[in-house]
Amino acid sequence: MALLNATNVHKTYRLGKVDVPVLRGVSVTVEPGEFVAILGSSGSGKSTLLHILGGLDRPDAGKGEVVFDGTPLSAMGMGGLDRYRSERVGFVFQFYHLLPELTVMENVTVAAMIRQGRLRYKAAEVTERAKALLESFGLGHRLGHRPAELSGGERQRTAIARALINRPAVLLADEPTGNLDRVTGGTILDALAGHRASEKLATVMVTHDQEVAARADRVVRLVDGRLA
Amino acid sequence: MYQALLTRKYLTSKIMPLLAAVAVMLCTAMVLTVWSVMGGFLSRLLESGRSLVGDVTIEWPNTGFAHYDELIDLLEEHPRVKAATPMIDTFGLVSLPDNRVEGVNIRGIDPKTYGEVVDYTQALWWKPLDKPAEKDHKGEDVRLDPRYKELFEAVYQEGLSLSEPDSKTGVPQWAAVPGIEMLGLSKREASGIYRLGSLGKALPDGGVANVMTPAFQQRITVRVVPFDREGRDVRLVSRPFAVANEFRTGVFEIDRRTIYIPLAAAQSMMKMEEAKSAVSGGTPAAGGAFNPYDLNADGTPAVPVITGIDPARVTTVLVRAKDGVSPDELREACDQVYETFAEKHRDVPAARTLRENNLIRTWEMRQAQFVAAVRKETSLVLFILGFVSATASFLILAIFWAMISEKTKDIGVLRSLGASRAGIAWLWIRYGLAIGVVGSLAGGALAWLVVSNINPIHDWMGSVLGVTVWDPRVYYFTTIPNTIEPVRAVIVLISGLVFSLLGAIIPAIRAATLDPVRALRFE
Ligand SMILES: Nc1ncnc2c1ncn2[C@@H]1O[C@H](COP(=O)(O)OP(=O)(O)OP(=O)(O)O)[C@@H](O)[C@H]1O
Ligand SMILES: [Mg+2]
Repeated sequence: MALLNATNVHKTYRLGKVDVPVLRGVSVTVEPGEFVAILGSSGSGKSTLLHILGGLDRPDAGKGEVVFDGTPLSAMGMGGLDRYRSERVGFVFQFYHLLPELTVMENVTVAAMIRQGRLRYKAAEVTERAKALLESFGLGHRLGHRPAELSGGERQRTAIARALINRPAVLLADEPTGNLDRVTGGTILDALAGHRASEKLATVMVTHDQEVAARADRVVRLVDGRLA
Repeated sequence: MYQALLTRKYLTSKIMPLLAAVAVMLCTAMVLTVWSVMGGFLSRLLESGRSLVGDVTIEWPNTGFAHYDELIDLLEEHPRVKAATPMIDTFGLVSLPDNRVEGVNIRGIDPKTYGEVVDYTQALWWKPLDKPAEKDHKGEDVRLDPRYKELFEAVYQEGLSLSEPDSKTGVPQWAAVPGIEMLGLSKREASGIYRLGSLGKALPDGGVANVMTPAFQQRITVRVVPFDREGRDVRLVSRPFAVANEFRTGVFEIDRRTIYIPLAAAQSMMKMEEAKSAVSGGTPAAGGAFNPYDLNADGTPAVPVITGIDPARVTTVLVRAKDGVSPDELREACDQVYETFAEKHRDVPAARTLRENNLIRTWEMRQAQFVAAVRKETSLVLFILGFVSATASFLILAIFWAMISEKTKDIGVLRSLGASRAGIAWLWIRYGLAIGVVGSLAGGALAWLVVSNINPIHDWMGSVLGVTVWDPRVYYFTTIPNTIEPVRAVIVLISGLVFSLLGAIIPAIRAATLDPVRALRFE
């Protein structure tokens, strides 16, 4: 069974009285451990699609459905969606979105805090995993720094580590290597490949980079609000 | 969990919440200070009754009542009564050593029993001391001086007995104990002690010598207008007294305008001592003296015939309650006892008369108007300040609103990481709570600092800025109340917390209902 299955998803934004259709019937399937690359021109709705797949946004009412592991997101309810985002999905945003007051380390562990809650929070275990993740991304010497003290690429890697701390089933990454040089970007992709292999992590990655797309199991293009 | 982390980070990395905490601090400190001072004033006022007139007074002004010894015996048999003492309470004039004449309250007391009802021995000021008084940190109190130990011991005994040996004959004489502010010789220091009086005296060579003139070595003259048994005034009676000692209650008006003299002296001056009533009409004994102008109808010389004994009278009986008996309970007891007493004697005012004129009273009843005014004033000021403090709520609301706008993206991120709406709301409420706790505790500490040092602060303001807010003539007591009641502190601190919470609630709801995608795209 497919891990994540979107069928005929529509998304229309209303600007005043004008409807701006962004997604017009997108269907996509992601298998466990699969790496799907999404290509598309700027403004084509790639970020919007990722938000919908991650349960952060909803398709237009009655137009499309996203099913995760057999459960439609629309049936999950508020708490169910919160749990889905926290436990099943890892988001890497186009613009990093780190919390500026927290250190690199805290930016990563905060996701685990949200997932585990006060009573079940296993500080030692989480810290250890966060450290290992950050070290694997070459940030071992930056643990105590604030995001403002990091380069764009370092921030992006922190964001990836945050997305992976809760061992999600699917990683939704919005141009995670856009700010990285070829070598660093390659290392990150290698690391992600490792997670895919060891944890059956499925990956949906938006990219403009043909080389990145070439490493994917499958490449889809978003054109005119549909996947081609 | 993450809320605790973020609250801590937000509190330590932003200036705005600190400002909010400062606002909460100032508001709580202000309310607590004012409440402590005004409330302390009120409770001091009520407590001062004990040191002034005991718990309950039974009065029959001007003419006074007879058989008071019997009334006191009856009262002391009552299980609620600890002790009772007679007193003559009247107005008079005192000529002071500096030739001022002041209108004063004269209290004729029986020193032996008076001390059982009122803290009289405590109030006597001039006595030898072993250790410095509470605020006399430098030990400058003259009463500590070992050279004067004997002198002060003698002065203390004179104050206790209200008598002083005559300087020439050594025979004990009636003496007076005025309040310490009356003569103007004993000068109060900021540390709460008094300096012995001194006067500049011109020397023959043109210089000036500072001559010690302790109040207790002065003489004064007391004048009263006595009334006869029917309440008609007779004529001014004047009598010199040696000053035996001075007393201090801390209630300025009392310390300035009250003077104690022995009960017997007061009774004699007021014509209230035991007297024989007589009519003229007898015939003189053989060889006895007679008044040649006092003749019987038949022209024979007449002499007074004793028709009865007019017993001694007092205007007031002071009663002290046994421990654990409230003033109101004691008042009821006194009412009953007086009723029994009045039934036995036809020459004392009826119980009904006293009741109708409200003359069996607790201290609070005696001060009713003043106490009510202070109560009203306190609650009004607290209401206004509470209202002002509510603005702290709005301040927090405004600051949080601004912070949430600034942190919109963070909220979107937290939601994308799976934080629930309730979790986000709790983050902000917790944050408000943290500001409330920090602000309130700091405010409590500030209030404690201010209130416990309010007298030095006030003295400093007086000497440096020339501002005197607490004028003892207006506020009754020479010092400002300087204790914080724990109950009041708890109430004010909790209110500070509640106001902070109220300010945080609306922004918290707004944060919780933000659409995560919009929040993430927010620029
Ligand atoms: N809240 C919104 N209201 C109106 N229009 C929106 C809103 N959010 C997104 N859009 C529009 O939807 C379209 C798709 O946006 P989206 O961010 O998904 O594009 P994208 O493919 O990720 O582009 P890029 O490669 O530049 O990141 C854009 O044209 C954008 O203007
Ligand atoms: Mg995008």
